[in-house]
Order: sequence, then structure tokens, then C-alpha cells
Amino acid sequence: MTVLAAARNPIIRWEWLVDEWDQIRSALVEHLTLTVLSMGLGILLSALLAAVAIRYRWALTPITATTGLIYTLPSVAMFALLAPIFGNLARPTAVIPLAGYTLLILVTNTVAGFRSVPRAVRDAAEGMGLSPFRRIVTVELPLALPYIITGIRIASVSTVGLVTVAAIIGQGGLGSLIFSGLRRAFWTPMTVGASLSIIVALAVDALIYLIGALLTPWTRRAAH
Amino acid sequence: MSVTDQPTMSTPAIRLRGLTKVYGSSPEPAVDALDLDVARGEVVALLGPSGCGKTTILRMINRLIEPTAGSIEIEGVDVTDQPVTDLRRSIGYVIQQIGLFPHRTIARNIAEVPRMLKWDSGRIDERVRELTVLVGLEVDMLDRYPDELSGGQQQRVGVARALAADPPVLLMDEPFGAVDPIVRKSLQDELLALQSRVQKTIVIVTHDLDEALRVADRIALFNVGGVIEQLATPDELMRSPASEFVEEFVGSDRGMRRLSLKNISSLDHRMGSVVDLDDEPSRGLEVMDREGIDWLGVVSEDRFAGWITRSAVEDAARNGKPLADLDRSDPIAQVRPDDTLRAAMELIILSNAATAVIDDNGRFGGVVTLEDLRAALGDTESVGAMT
Amino acid sequence: MGLLEQAAVDRDIGLWEWLSDVGTWTGSDGILTSLWDTVVLCSIVTVVATLLSVPTAALLAHARKAELSTTWLVSISRAVPTFAIAALLLPWSLERGWGFEPWPIFVALLLLALVPIYLTTYTAVRQVDPAAVNAARAIGHGERSILFKVELALASSPVLAGVRVAAIQVVATEPIRAFLGGDGLGRFVRDGFGQNNTTLVVGGVILIGGLAALTGVAFVVAERLLLPTGVTRYSRQQGEK
Repeated sequence: MTVLAAARNPIIRWEWLVDEWDQIRSALVEHLTLTVLSMGLGILLSALLAAVAIRYRWALTPITATTGLIYTLPSVAMFALLAPIFGNLARPTAVIPLAGYTLLILVTNTVAGFRSVPRAVRDAAEGMGLSPFRRIVTVELPLALPYIITGIRIASVSTVGLVTVAAIIGQGGLGSLIFSGLRRAFWTPMTVGASLSIIVALAVDALIYLIGALLTPWTRRAAH
Repeated sequence: MSVTDQPTMSTPAIRLRGLTKVYGSSPEPAVDALDLDVARGEVVALLGPSGCGKTTILRMINRLIEPTAGSIEIEGVDVTDQPVTDLRRSIGYVIQQIGLFPHRTIARNIAEVPRMLKWDSGRIDERVRELTVLVGLEVDMLDRYPDELSGGQQQRVGVARALAADPPVLLMDEPFGAVDPIVRKSLQDELLALQSRVQKTIVIVTHDLDEALRVADRIALFNVGGVIEQLATPDELMRSPASEFVEEFVGSDRGMRRLSLKNISSLDHRMGSVVDLDDEPSRGLEVMDREGIDWLGVVSEDRFAGWITRSAVEDAARNGKPLADLDRSDPIAQVRPDDTLRAAMELIILSNAATAVIDDNGRFGGVVTLEDLRAALGDTESVGAMT
Repeated sequence: MGLLEQAAVDRDIGLWEWLSDVGTWTGSDGILTSLWDTVVLCSIVTVVATLLSVPTAALLAHARKAELSTTWLVSISRAVPTFAIAALLLPWSLERGWGFEPWPIFVALLLLALVPIYLTTYTAVRQVDPAAVNAARAIGHGERSILFKVELALASSPVLAGVRVAAIQVVATEPIRAFLGGDGLGRFVRDGFGQNNTTLVVGGVILIGGLAALTGVAFVVAERLLLPTGVTRYSRQQGEK
């Protein structure tokens, strides 16, 4: 692997991008699909867990410990474990672990968000005659939103990164580009896959940040 | 001091009967079988040291805390007879930390209860503007967010919000505690002004005796366990404390405090050692003798014109000169009818004058001396405390 | 052990038999070798990351500098897909004749570990009770002495906890190395997939998970042993504030 290799095998060969655009695009789509599905499941589960942790204060520690434990489970191990159960190419094999990894940060941030609502605001809302539903949905939730959105941002970005690892079971989106390149010792798809996954991660981060800013106009006004 | 009609005895606006609250953890009740009536349009202050249960009592009225026993009626209707959210929407609630919704504009904050009551938007807008002016805020603040306003402004919004749906009853829990004393005093004044216009039934919790004295029609002074030590008007509370606890609570300087409660206008009008400018000097001498003062005040066309020394008057009487030709000195001590007796006393003592002239918008309104102040208080005990 | 050499295991052996066979453990393609590969890499990464991050973070936090960059770092740090970075570096490493290992995976794991250690250290030093620092200054300690004797000492509990978290993350992420032509415990999963051998896969999973758990425990024990009681008590107090 010396000069000859370098001549045949640059870090990135641009024509490949043009030729294999369909492959790139389908990998991208799969990558985003997996991300969205995992985030969706993660948000749903974390909302439930957060609701429990808020309602029953003692539940926060065990919930945090459990989601924390799940978070430390090596991703390779998780994909490998579920593959024989659901099948390598089945969605649950990838989505379940990916969703699991989001739980810790989502639950932590959601709970923190609701805890950050000033007691006076809650007291005033109750005293004014807001029903519990109205209070939670129209007052506490918007005020918890900054924390929740930060959690979603962090979870989304790390999910984008982890989806690439799911390539080991054949569901990697952009990760599959990396692997196909590796197998053939052909660097371009590797570079493209890797770079794109970083770019997508940053783009998702920026996008969610913008959405968050739009949803919370009051946080942008200068304080008196 | 607010001015109220005599409360009608028919239906008190708020009636507490046997109100009791026991918390599981402690053997002593936080509130023990309390009976209390609040008349319509009255301001009642729940006053007392911390832990006496006054906030608990307040929060039982709008059922933020549920009583262990006893009943609460508002306008004759038991508070448990309706859904709790309906009850609370018909009661204004103002708390110390205010609790404005940070994510809503001021206008939207004020409009919260009317929106819940499904008022139409035109009516809501009108009402919001009306209230903004009523509480002394600028209309251009309506589009701002709470954190852009100062503490005093926020508290005014809090009051506006509580009044939005025009509830007959207002509950206030240490509403002015979170602002500095200067702002607090002006907010108290504004509350009084507001009350004279809207005539709500107000129950206000406070630990500040001066605040209670300033705003309340009646004060309920509580001891630990929600036990009323005395229920009386501010003046009565200061004049005749019902127990040692009350005496200690109002403090040994209550004489001074009582003086702050009344105005000059509450005194009987007295001419004092004053004659008209056209009167004979000899008449002036008579007056001075009667009053026992060596100065003669003269009034011309309803305006106080100055003080003349006794010797000058004697001289004028001897030589047939009119009073108008004599030298006059301006009064050192002047007060207005709406000044408190205490301000008058301080002025008289500090200025070393024996008498203060009452200036009623430029017109002569009489005089007031230390003796008059003593008489106004009506008992020697507070005199001792005064001097 | 590389891409080409695979663990040759009869696919029909059950998990228990596989684990209890001594031959599995020993030898150049045994568990111990791979375990050693993983432990070595992870340890070096953790140590280097700590040596790089802790002094930098401590110095910056002490001088109250770089607050904004630190916040910026938080957002960027999450966008570090370790796998992608290792993959990106692979061709570069190969072109230079350095082979598949260790640089791509080393750099990728290092980046992964750097940020949490830096952030935890920065926050911990920043949050040290200013009263203690001012007292030390008043007594006459020089700035560097304050940094070491006071700030780092008081912050050592959260810093060590941060290193622990980073170490566990490194161990948990390291298995991807095997899929990029490397060694380590991940290779059992890789080979198991390749040969359709569930025993290998599950065995690998257990080994990887076990190591991650062990890392956590080891650090907790180390924290308990190494940190003076006063420091842990102080940190717990800070945590409760």
C-alpha cells in the first residue's frame, strides 16, 4: 500500500459521488429515518418516565439509575444482542437500543425543565383557577421547553452518530457506506459516509436549536 | 385609612365557621375552630407572627388548602358547593412573589381568567386596558414580558390580573413583601385608592403591623394556632390592646403609631390665638390672654397672614395703630388637613413653635397645638409613650 | 489479529462450554489477548485525555477564562460521532503506512473522552467555594499553589467522577474498533456475525458489557480509596446546594 495505492485510492474521488448519488441518497434517507424513529420512540418513553418521576419524587433516582445504566451499555453489544431476536435488518433491532440511549438525557432534562418552573408561578396558576391540565399544558410545559429542547438536541445528535454503528448489523444508513468502503478498501465511500454523518449531526443540532428559539420567544427578550 | 359604609349585617361576604386545619405530623392544629366574618366591601387584615396560621386560613378560602373541619361561605354559598376551579376564578388571588407567567406578555397575563371564562376578545381587550390604567401602568407595557418590568410594576400587573374578571373577593398574601419599603408604601396607597373606587372585599395577610394599620378596616391579630387575640379597627387595636400578647405585638410605641392613623382634619376646628386683620388690637390682647400665648396670628380674607409679637400688639393698642401696620412673621410650622397627627407633632417639636397653622389649600384652616394632639388621643397612657 | 484472521470456533458450541473452555481464554486468539488489547487502548486513551484536559480546564477555570468557548464546546462535543471520525482517519492512517491501528481509533476515542473530562473539570474548579480560595489567597498562597492545593483538591471528587464517566464511555464505544480492522473484545461480535455464530456474538456482548461494568466499579472503589473523606464530604455538600 504505497504510491500505487495512493494513485488508485485517494481519500475521496469526486466522480464517485456523482455516479453513486442514488446510493448516497438512500443511505441518507435510511439514516434520517432511523434517527427520527429512534427519537420518536425515545421522546415518547421519556415523556412517560418523566411524568412518573415528577409525580412521584422518589421514582427519580431509580429511573435515572436505570436509564443511566442503559446508556452505558455498549452500542455494539446492544445491536448484537437484539439481532438474533428480531433479525438483522428488522427496524426494532436498531431502533430499540437507539431509543434507549436517548432516555437518560431526555428524562433528566424533562424533569429538570418542569422542576425549573418557579413555585410562585405554579401557585398563582392554581390559585387563579386553572385546571391541572391547563396549568401543565399551557404554563408548565412551555416553561420547561428550553430544557426539553436542549435534551432533544443532545439526544438527536448522539443518535445520528450512533446510527452509523448500526451498520454492523446492516442497518447503518451512512454507516453502510463506511463499511462498504472498508470492505473493498475503497476510501471514497468511507470518507463520504463519515463526513456526511458529521455534517448531518451538526445540521440536526442547528435545526433543533432554531426550532427551539422559535418556540420560546420570551427567552430572547433582554431582561430588565 | 379607607372610608367604608357600615357593613350590612345581612350576609357577610365571607363567613368562616369553626374553621380547623390539622396537619398529620403535628398534634397541635395549625388553625383551631376559627370563626370570622368579613363584611362586603371591607378590608380585613390577617396579622400575626409567622406560624400563626394566617396564610393557611387565607388559602383555605380559595381551597388551595382543604380544611380539616369547619365551613367557609362566600356570599352565603359554601365554597365546596362548586367545582374548585370555578370558585377560584371568582376570587382574585395575589401572592408575594407575584407569579406572573414568564412566557406570556403582560396583556396575556392579565387576560388569563377572562379567557378561561370565555369572554369575547373585544371585551377582554377593553378590560385589560381599563385595568392597566387602574393600577397605574403604561399601556405600552402590555406587549412586554414580565422580566422586562421592575418588581413594583410586576406586582401591579399581579393586582390587575387578580381583578381582571371583576371578582367580588380579593385574597392577598403578603402582596407587597417582595418590593422595597418605598415602593411598598406607594403600592399600599394605591391599594387604598383602588379600593375606594372598586369596593372589593379584601382579605390581606401580612406580618407588618404598619401595613395592616394603613390599609385595613379591621385587623384580626392572630396568635399561634390561628387563634384570634383581637379583632378590631386599627385605632381600637392601638388604643386598647385586649391582651398582653397584643400589647407586645403592637409595641410600646403604639402611641406614636396611633398618631399616624389620624389626620389633622379629624380634629375640631379651632381658631386659636388668631384674629382677623381688621380687628382691634385690644381684641387681639384678649385672645392672647385666653390662649396663653405671646403671639397673635392674623387672618386676612380667609388666608393666614402671619404672626405678630405680643409687645407689638400692646404697643398698637396703646397708640391706636391698626394691626395691619404691624410687622408680621411667617409661620414656621404649617400643616395640611390630610397630614397625620404624627407629622404635625414632629413638625411642632422640631420647629420649636408652639402652634402649627393649618393650611387648607391656601385658606386658613385653624391651628393645632400639642395640647390638641393630646386631647385627640384621649388617654394619658399614650401621652406618656409619646413624650 | 486483524481483519483476516478470525476466531475459528465451531458454531455449534454452547455459550457455557465456550466460556468454560480454557482454550478459549488463552492463546493468541483467546479472550485474554483481546481483553488486554481493549484494556490497553482504553487505559491509554483515558490517561492521555485526563492529562490533556484536567490541567487545561483547571487553569482556564481558575483564571475565569474561556467561559464562552466552553459553552460552545458543549454543543459541538455532542456532534462527535466516534465511528465516523475513526472511519475518516482510517484511509489517512493506511496511506501513511501506519496500518489500521492504532491511530484512527485512538484519536476518535481520545476526542470522545476529552470533552466530558474537560467540561466536568472546568465546572468543578469553577464551582469551588470562592471563600476557600479567598482565604488561601489571604494567607499568602501563590496562584499556582491555590490551584493545586485548594481548587483541584476540593474539585477532585467530581473530576474523578468525570474521568470515570469518560472511561466507561470509552470502554463502551471501543468495540467498534473491531469493525474497522482492529482488535479488542469487539472482535468476538464481529466474528460471530461473520460466521453466523450466536455463541461468539453473545459471548462477546457479555465480555464487553462486563468490562464496562467493571470499569465503573473499579473507579468507584478507587474514588473511595484515594479521596480524603473531607473532600467527598465537601463535594456532597456542594451537590446538595
